Amino acid sequence: MADLLLELGVEEIPAPAVGAIRDQLRNLFLARLEQDGIGHGAVECAASNRRLMLHVAQIPEKTASKEETVLGPAKRIALDERGLPTVALKKFCEFQKVKLTDVVEIDTPKGKYLGITKVGGGGDAAPLLAAAVPAVLAQLTFPKAMVWNESRVAFIRPLRSIVALFAGRLLDVEYAGVRAGNRSPGHLLLSDAFFEVNSIKDYFEGLARNFILLHEEERKAKILAEIREIEEDLECRVPCPDDMLEYYVYSNEYPVVFSGRFDEKYLTLPAEIITVFMTHEKKLLPVYDAGGKLTPHFVGVANIPDENGKVSRGNEKVVQAAFEDAQFFWDQDRKEDFFALKNLLKNVLFHKELGTYHEKVERLAGLVDFVINETRQDALRSRLHKAAFHCKNDLLTKMVREFPSLQGVMGGLYLQAAGEDPVVWKAIYGHYRPKGLSDEKLDDLGAGILSIADRMDNITGFIARGVKVSSSKDPYGIRRDASAIVKIIADFGLAMDLAPLIRLAALNFARNDADLQQIHKAVRELLAGRLESYLKEVARCRYDVVNAVMAQEAMAVHDKVLKAQAVTRLVESGMAEPLAALHRRLKNILGGSERCPFSEVELKEKEERLLSDVFKEAKPRIDGLILKRDYAQASSEILEMKPIIDAFFEKILVMDKNPILRKNRIALLQRLDELLSAVADFSLLVETKSGGKS
Amino acid sequence: MSVQNVILKLQEFWAERGCYIASGYDGEVGAGTMSPDTFFRVLGKKPWQVAYWQPSRRPDDGRYGQNPNRVQKHNQFQVILKPVPADGQLLFLDSLIFLGVDIRIHDIKFDDDNWASPSLGAWGVGWQVMCDGLEISQFTYFQQAGGIELNPNSLEITYGIERLAGFLDGRSSLFELDWGNRVSYAQLKLEEERQFSVYNFELADIDMLRGLFQQYQREAERLLDRSLYLPAYDYVLKCSHAFNILDARKAISVAERTALMGIMRNLAARIAQKYVQQTEGEDHG
Repeated sequence: MADLLLELGVEEIPAPAVGAIRDQLRNLFLARLEQDGIGHGAVECAASNRRLMLHVAQIPEKTASKEETVLGPAKRIALDERGLPTVALKKFCEFQKVKLTDVVEIDTPKGKYLGITKVGGGGDAAPLLAAAVPAVLAQLTFPKAMVWNESRVAFIRPLRSIVALFAGRLLDVEYAGVRAGNRSPGHLLLSDAFFEVNSIKDYFEGLARNFILLHEEERKAKILAEIREIEEDLECRVPCPDDMLEYYVYSNEYPVVFSGRFDEKYLTLPAEIITVFMTHEKKLLPVYDAGGKLTPHFVGVANIPDENGKVSRGNEKVVQAAFEDAQFFWDQDRKEDFFALKNLLKNVLFHKELGTYHEKVERLAGLVDFVINETRQDALRSRLHKAAFHCKNDLLTKMVREFPSLQGVMGGLYLQAAGEDPVVWKAIYGHYRPKGLSDEKLDDLGAGILSIADRMDNITGFIARGVKVSSSKDPYGIRRDASAIVKIIADFGLAMDLAPLIRLAALNFARNDADLQQIHKAVRELLAGRLESYLKEVARCRYDVVNAVMAQEAMAVHDKVLKAQAVTRLVESGMAEPLAALHRRLKNILGGSERCPFSEVELKEKEERLLSDVFKEAKPRIDGLILKRDYAQASSEILEMKPIIDAFFEKILVMDKNPILRKNRIALLQRLDELLSAVADFSLLVETKSGGKS
Repeated sequence: MSVQNVILKLQEFWAERGCYIASGYDGEVGAGTMSPDTFFRVLGKKPWQVAYWQPSRRPDDGRYGQNPNRVQKHNQFQVILKPVPADGQLLFLDSLIFLGVDIRIHDIKFDDDNWASPSLGAWGVGWQVMCDGLEISQFTYFQQAGGIELNPNSLEITYGIERLAGFLDGRSSLFELDWGNRVSYAQLKLEEERQFSVYNFELADIDMLRGLFQQYQREAERLLDRSLYLPAYDYVLKCSHAFNILDARKAISVAERTALMGIMRNLAARIAQKYVQQTEGEDHG
């Protein structure tokens, strides 16, 4: 048994790519070992931006030998009557390169056969491992690969060293023009360029001696602990978002947290700007006081101890210059007449097939109008019109040209600073949010309405121009747009059906009526898919409950959410089960029969008359409940009719020979089905033993 | 350290490591990469090691001399190493040490930052080199230029001269820098920054510049038809500078940007092809 150590020294790998490459290396290598019949013990795999390490313990130095049986011809074919070998057996031996004396008799379920047993494996593991390294490296895939030397091998960044040690010896390996050796790269700044590795012990000691914390958990813990110390020292909060933590963990082999401060005068800049300048551009964390207000401090992570404060002072100067830039953009942009920028949008292309942003905002005004009608927000109309017309003006500001992620936000901030009505600036400020189903709820309805309009315009436009989307392919982000529309409507509980809005938006792009139908269908499917995801992932509804409420055509998002919640409650209280049984029974009998006219005069039997009377009395009340969207109560009132419905089924033959009676009974049941279906298609609920959710 | 000492030291360092010390290009360029000493020489098979100081103009970066770190004309020190040396990163760190940077107390990071010049049909993979959060250099492995896949690849190191001088001198503003021998940076550059910012942002004649762009384009095409790729390339660079001023004037719409970029990219690609065709014999000779 011996250990294998593989280390690849690479020039700085982009932080977000490191983890995935490390996992690929591990998985591909282990798969290769299995394929080669090489067993192993514990596996340790770790990576930084400068190295990928795989340590596999307890590999047998010889691969396991195993006996395998090769069947030849059946005994009756292999030997003639005299028991002498036939041509078939001789050919088999020739092919297998064995003597006749090697052949043995083998019992199989199909009878007696002749054949041989061979021993495979049992070779040295070292050459197999040496062959595995380049084979596995060639299988790695990268987000963006490059070439740099004569080998023309594409890798994530230049591969500079390979250490491959097995059983205390260096394996003979070469990849991408790099010959494996006994040199491992040191820390970029704190040690010599390379340290020597002649054993696994050397390697781990070398890492420790050279300030390399190889394990990402160790680096992460060090960073978080040091941030906590600063929080305690400054009595403040320093939230570290996941993407920043990942950046720090995979950009430093010896991470050290430092802090610094900047001139308080920059705190007059909007917090949104300060935050973006610090995190996006400078990879630093903003610091908040106990009340959640920004303080003139920042926190960052260096790759070396900052013993004499050089790193901190240097970063302070950089932050100062960045804020000076931010101040310049903020001051220059505010000198311009923000509303006048709309006219310049005629020069700014939204998409080459969808016209300019000027055309887009003109379309948005129409869509906003429609959403206001649907949601009865007349008081907001004139101000949301204004917001719609000017919501893209900030694309022409210096700040957004420098930091596109501030689009919308800057338009809002510039108008707020100019003393604009809050309805207008807040709508513009928030109209790129929410970013997806899991984003926070918008707090401004006007922003929600503008966001719905803008996103519906994106979706219909791109779909009209033939863009197809899937969970992995969404070049223009319209799937996310669809999620946002669903989320806004659900969050604000807006009573609106999306179908007419889709049609209105599609009219802007459809070339003819057939085109319009097609766009409408595709947009509807996209939105229905996102609504289903919302119900499952955000509202946490069971899949069959989702199916039951999605069965209806209507695209009223909020309504579906309420229905799904009601049906979920019915499932939990055990009331869904009898409703599902009833609905299934109705569907079975009704099949796809055409809607029949109903006439009380044709009711003959006591049970059908009773059901008709009860239904007639209950229906207006249940309709009322449905209109009020009290779906749980409506369902339970339907359920109250169950004994009478059961009696009907027991006593009445629906499929009577008399067509008049038959059709009338079908008509009665159809009305009952329609009433149930107005809540959900309960027949799609699956039967559960407990009837409730555990 | 003074600005001129940074330049002198870098020249000395790279000359000792086999680079030919060129002069910067004598017309307006946005970066050292655009100089013919880089654009042409990274094409083809021939090894090439060059280092030069290149004044670089970016009209949109002008701040009227008011920003401590941004100017519309800054100075780059450009190094091209072709083929790529195996120890390029170490060579670069050595050059910083030679300049007097103590790399054990300053946080130097190679931060993912790929480079692309759409108007030259060029791109590379690499990093911005940060020193205590300040970008001091770009370190790039060229993959393509003039639309042509490069083989061998070149390593490009671009130092920001003012950034380095400011860092080494502990200055927090460019305008506090000493250019050398008691000539201050402010004395040389402050008025230039102010005047060019006014010109680039407020006064540049948009119609004239559009006209010039077209004239330069036609001239480049005419010269290309005569296989004079060197002067043709000069005119593409003139197009590029006219474009940059128009851009600073906010005179270019997105649609127009795509179109003008396309014009320059096509010209650059044709020029690169001419160069490769004409020099192929030499390269393999």
